Amino acid sequence: MLGLILRRLRDLAIVLVLVGTAIFFIVRVIPGDAALAVAGDQATPEQVEAIREAMGLNVPLWQQYVTWFGQLLVGDFGTSTSFHTPVAPIILSHLLPTVTLALAATVLSIAITVPLSIGVALYPRNWLWRTVNRFTAVGIAVPEFWLALLLVTVFAVTFGAVPVSGWVNPFVDPAAGIPHLILPIVVLMVGQISTFALMLRDNLIGEMLQPYLRTARAKGARERRVFYRHALPNALLPAVTVVGNNLGTLLGGIVVLETIFVIPGLGSLLFQAVSTRDYAIIQGATIVIAIIFVVLNFIVDLIYLLLDPRVRVS
Amino acid sequence: MLAWLRRLWRRDREFVVWLAVLLLLLLVVVIGPSLLPSAYVQSPGERLQGPSGTHLLGTDGYGRDVLARVVEAGRTSLLIALVIAALATVLGSVIGLVSGFYAKSASVLMRAMDALMAFPGIVLSIALVAAIGTGALSEIVALSVVFTPYMARISRSRALHLAGRGYVLAARSAGVSGPRILLTHILPNALPTILVQSLLIFAAALLLDGTLSFLGMGVQPPTPTWGNMIAEARPYLSIAPTFVVAPGLAIVLAVVTLNAISAGLRSIVDPRARALASMFVMRRERRAPRRA
Repeated sequence: MLGLILRRLRDLAIVLVLVGTAIFFIVRVIPGDAALAVAGDQATPEQVEAIREAMGLNVPLWQQYVTWFGQLLVGDFGTSTSFHTPVAPIILSHLLPTVTLALAATVLSIAITVPLSIGVALYPRNWLWRTVNRFTAVGIAVPEFWLALLLVTVFAVTFGAVPVSGWVNPFVDPAAGIPHLILPIVVLMVGQISTFALMLRDNLIGEMLQPYLRTARAKGARERRVFYRHALPNALLPAVTVVGNNLGTLLGGIVVLETIFVIPGLGSLLFQAVSTRDYAIIQGATIVIAIIFVVLNFIVDLIYLLLDPRVRVS
Repeated sequence: MLAWLRRLWRRDREFVVWLAVLLLLLLVVVIGPSLLPSAYVQSPGERLQGPSGTHLLGTDGYGRDVLARVVEAGRTSLLIALVIAALATVLGSVIGLVSGFYAKSASVLMRAMDALMAFPGIVLSIALVAAIGTGALSEIVALSVVFTPYMARISRSRALHLAGRGYVLAARSAGVSGPRILLTHILPNALPTILVQSLLIFAAALLLDGTLSFLGMGVQPPTPTWGNMIAEARPYLSIAPTFVVAPGLAIVLAVVTLNAISAGLRSIVDPRARALASMFVMRRERRAPRRA
């Protein structure tokens, strides 16, 4: 068990190193001079040269890489060229909205999906089954940004039921903060619920076909017990990994929604940095989002390990 | 061909219907632009009109016909997504099959894929586009990089599975070379899985193309894409609803169609998926009294 966790930790470390390397090369090797971008069109060649020197772009690539990685390890993401302050605190201050949205949307989606899928698997082909199937097919295909615009038009602009955009920290001022969260979370939940429900339904139905259920029935277990004690736990297990795998889509959705709802999270930060060509922030925000994704996935893996004894043995 | 279609129809009607929808969609974007008014001519006098006889879906902020632009945008978006799906499929399946077949020596490749998959797709593509610059070509490059790992992962697990099969062992002991086994035994047997996955990537690429163009990082206006049309419609949400609704619905229709076709193909290819579908028939039979 401990060995398995250690092995996972090693894999986690490898992936994180590769993530850092990938970002380094994406930003450095591809054409476009970062120093030129910082200096602007008006700069003289001498100024550009000075900036290049200051940014450490004059030394060979491998030296830049080593320096950059060393700084990364101690939490130094460089200095933002648009804010003129270190990147790490800027990113930290943008972390809360993104993580809040991710956790809230995931927890609420799971809370809705599980009973829904149970209903669907227990009574196939009734009205609920048909509704859920249509909803999931469309829910997966709806672009988040478009759905967000439609919902804003209907519920915020026309009915005024919720704020159009903005962010108030819900942990400090829940009465003002939560209404701001409703629309983005609903949009995220549409995609999440569709993905989860589709997987869980297939898992449940697949589990219902397993021979061990016949054994349970043969031993005299009631249909209710067969379902809740045998089929359901086994169907929920792989769903845990689905939640983990879907985190990427979720974080991507949050990034886009933050720009629409003007929420000061990592997504808005990243998008702003792209328009001001602030490479330090682009690197930092991308890495942090990737780290959130990888670490959350790691946690999901651990939960899976705890829940499923079979994985521990193999 | 006709007999084959009839058999398919009897087996899975929904699949045939979705195939027809896809054909129709392709037909519309291929011949539509030559039948409809120009997607580019601006008429400032007719800005933001509702649906009418001359403009079935109304007009946009520059007085251009929304229907014509949605169809023209479909051309751009579908073509870009198709190219991305094709590139990701070829690259991903080569990487996946090779690293699955030569499992020990090629795990380095899969590590690189893991690293790429550690980024949420949209974030990686924003970073890539920010580095390469905006435009159709860089979008294609960026999104191909984003989707390649997904194809690699699937085809790798398929190759791993196939490499352990008896006929591969038989071929090997008969002295067939590795690359030849890969081409004549592994690839053809992995192809159905790859095809199913490539359709899913096609759909996902459409969505991601929409998002990128919406953020202004894809194909630039005045060339319409579904995503940049929605971005252009943003100031006029409640004034001209058809302007924002039409391109979004187009994305939904295209993605639903591609996903449905992929699912239909999978149920043909994968016996387990077929078993899932027949499950309901079985359950109903169990409830009904048996006839002799």
